[in-house]
Amino acid sequence: MDLGFKGKVALVTGAGSQIGFGKEISLLLAKEGCDAVAVSDINLDDAKLTTEAVKALGCKSIAVKADVTNKAEVQAMVEKVIAEYGKIDILLNVAGGVLGGGPFEEQNEEIWDQNIALNLKGTMFVSQAVIPHMKKQNYGVIVNISSGSTHQYGPPHGVGMYAISKAGVDTFTKQLATVEAGSGIRVNCVAPGPSPTNFIKAPDKQAVVDMLAKKEIPMGRGATQADIANAAVFFASDISGYITGQVLHVSGGSVM
Amino acid sequence: MDLGLKGKVALVTGAGSQIGFGKETALLLAKEGCDAVAVTDVNLEDAEKTAKAVKQLGCKSIAVKADITNHAEVDAMVKKVIDEYGKIDILCNVAGGIIHKDNVPIDQQDPAVWEKQLKLNLIGTMNVSKAVVPAMRAQKYGVIVNIGSGSTHQYQMGVGTYAMSKYAIDLFTKQLAFVEGKAGIRVNCVAPGPAPTNFGAILREDMPKLPPDEMEKMRAAMLGTFPLGRMGTAADIANATVILASDVTSYVTGQVFHVSGGSVI
Repeated sequence: MDLGFKGKVALVTGAGSQIGFGKEISLLLAKEGCDAVAVSDINLDDAKLTTEAVKALGCKSIAVKADVTNKAEVQAMVEKVIAEYGKIDILLNVAGGVLGGGPFEEQNEEIWDQNIALNLKGTMFVSQAVIPHMKKQNYGVIVNISSGSTHQYGPPHGVGMYAISKAGVDTFTKQLATVEAGSGIRVNCVAPGPSPTNFIKAPDKQAVVDMLAKKEIPMGRGATQADIANAAVFFASDISGYITGQVLHVSGGSVM
Repeated sequence: MDLGLKGKVALVTGAGSQIGFGKETALLLAKEGCDAVAVTDVNLEDAEKTAKAVKQLGCKSIAVKADITNHAEVDAMVKKVIDEYGKIDILCNVAGGIIHKDNVPIDQQDPAVWEKQLKLNLIGTMNVSKAVVPAMRAQKYGVIVNIGSGSTHQYQMGVGTYAMSKYAIDLFTKQLAFVEGKAGIRVNCVAPGPAPTNFGAILREDMPKLPPDEMEKMRAAMLGTFPLGRMGTAADIANATVILASDVTSYVTGQVFHVSGGSVI
């Protein structure tokens, strides 16, 4: 299936981790024919590794450092991509992270603020910087990354600002989709189930995923990076041209 | 993107209408590499037209008549497809229809119509799934895509068993996905918004006969309520259905996917 990416410019945030969704999405966008995939991360060296991998597929790429919680850095990052490629057609808001946790009464406000800043405000800052450029060309696709944890409440999940910040991303997706639909901009969200990325702190990430999968996932396995990239790239393409404001759970049936 | 449909056998119900989602889905499954796409409809002649169009794409096809509300006919239809192709990997439950008129006060509704409506959409989808699941379990692989409706989240049409039957399909999707997940069977649902198909002819019967400019004004006003500013096309629905039918979504199950231009979010 031709995903219609010829000539398209994409920006993927949080694409530095070499075992993360951002890199996998960048590579798939490149493989499927994007003209350029700009990658951004708080760690420039990591972003450069992804850029090299994208270029190896014959697709243009630049790496730009940006802390998504810093509005000025985000603005500068987006300007740099526009200066390089002239436009941004596709934005993948992948940057995020799990901070803190533990029993509710022991949680501190600082960790709450950091989760909101990284996951929710970060996604909003990047979208805010990109949207004027999308509006100008009356075309744009934004894909946010949420989490299956928005719908899981029992142990070991409990009260966590990470899940709450991702629930905020879901609502932001729907609000932005509705207000920008008339500008030719679609906004959707992929909500992954557990996957062996750096989001899992333990050294044997797959073992943690397998343990969770046995307990709470109807399909009996965790998500792979490819599972998430497939869904994100589907939303990013015109194949889903009549889909907006949707949150797709890619979680083996653990959220439905 | 290679959807990995090579070697796959699909069954699409409700594939007779030549402007419907079923035919469009059957053709896209064929284009994307399925080995065979069996098509069924309550009207055999219509199904045969679709089978012919599928064959023209170089894909095997048979047309089988089945009224999905008749479980014996459904069982025979599924058996015929399995006899022909040896298996069913993909089932697209597209057959359905609107029998129930909009905006009729509940006290003026006919319970016989409720039963007919629930039987066609809900029981029909369940009948075909029931007949196909054992073969999918046996090969530890199967994908089912049901068709829901945006009307499950819109209330201005009043009390209607069409939307109720489709909402029940949403729930059936999730229940079946949950229990069959470890059997290697995924179950998802595409919920379309309004599209120019034969659907809802019964609703148009009640529309006032207006002059063309008035009709155009009404149409524009209706489209204005869609965030993306247009109605869906059969291709929009087929795209989503075929993606969910493919292993590109191999970790997606139990999901209801609204393809409605933002009218349901």
